[in-house]
Amino acid sequence: MKRILVVDDAATVRRYHRSILEPAGYMIEEAVNGIEALEKVAYESFDLYLVDINMPKLDGYGLLRELRTRDMPQAPAIMVSTEAAGRDRLLAYQAGANLYIIKPVKPDYLLDCTAILLGRLSQYKSLTMIANYSLGILH
Amino acid sequence: MALKKSLTPTATPVDERRIPRDLAGLLTALNDPNPLVRRWSARDLIQYPTAAAALIEQLDHETDPSVNEVILTTLTHLGDDIAVSGLINCLRSENVWLRNQAIEALKQMPNAIAPLMERLLNDPESDVRIFAVNVLESLRHPHVEDWLIKVIASDAHINVCATAVDLLGEVGSSRACSALHELKARFPNEPFIQFATDLALKRIGTGCH
Repeated sequence: MKRILVVDDAATVRRYHRSILEPAGYMIEEAVNGIEALEKVAYESFDLYLVDINMPKLDGYGLLRELRTRDMPQAPAIMVSTEAAGRDRLLAYQAGANLYIIKPVKPDYLLDCTAILLGRLSQYKSLTMIANYSLGILH
Repeated sequence: MALKKSLTPTATPVDERRIPRDLAGLLTALNDPNPLVRRWSARDLIQYPTAAAALIEQLDHETDPSVNEVILTTLTHLGDDIAVSGLINCLRSENVWLRNQAIEALKQMPNAIAPLMERLLNDPESDVRIFAVNVLESLRHPHVEDWLIKVIASDAHINVCATAVDLLGEVGSSRACSALHELKARFPNEPFIQFATDLALKRIGTGCH
């Protein structure tokens, strides 16, 4: 079973993401900020990180930057933000995110993004889906 | 085998505090190239109520996180209008760390931030309104619930409402029920709003049907 670490200081957001991902067969662990996430990563391995940007103590950028410098198998990361500004997207990718998505996240979109990054979809289906989202056919 | 004590000389606070500790000396030290000197200056300026403006100015270009941290602590302690307004300006910063630290600092200043909260919650930038709601998270002030109810009743931006409803789930009472129901109706196709309001209504419980 694929393991996902959901990092967000808002308890409702963590529960929401869990409510979407768990029924789809993913095992969910939660952390309330970057520091707690790093503590978990030190003892457990994850297949995907779902990370908020604005968090106290250590924000999402700081967390990903730290994870990407570590000598360990690198899992893909989705950065989730309320900020649609281009500069935040750029910073997210520079920090090591593989995908940047805007809150509030629609369940199907989150499941599709997760499946793509975990290689659960064929390349053809992944590309078709990305194209559809880009064109606004899917939300 | 006995452990040898390290003989490496360590910097003592005295080294970094060689500059006179009067206001003029500390303001000079705030621009010292050595971050340790700047840090001690920011710490010692806590005894000068008129230092807020200089500290705010320093925040604008200070690159050392440990100095910034001390500046924010000193500003929180000073707590005057200049300090509060400087911290509010940090909410507009592109530096996420600084923004988050300012939010944490403002949470410690309920009496100073309260008169400005209405204005912050009506800021033209949705991100600033979200950060204002973040400030409410552990602000010990009797109006917190009222402010949150007003946000979910009137703010047009979904993420501002989402942040507020998340917090109402923790601090809300039955007074928030009708605003929560109205929010659900206002965003019928937004699964997160539906999820978060249901959760808040469930937590509030009796009297919320």
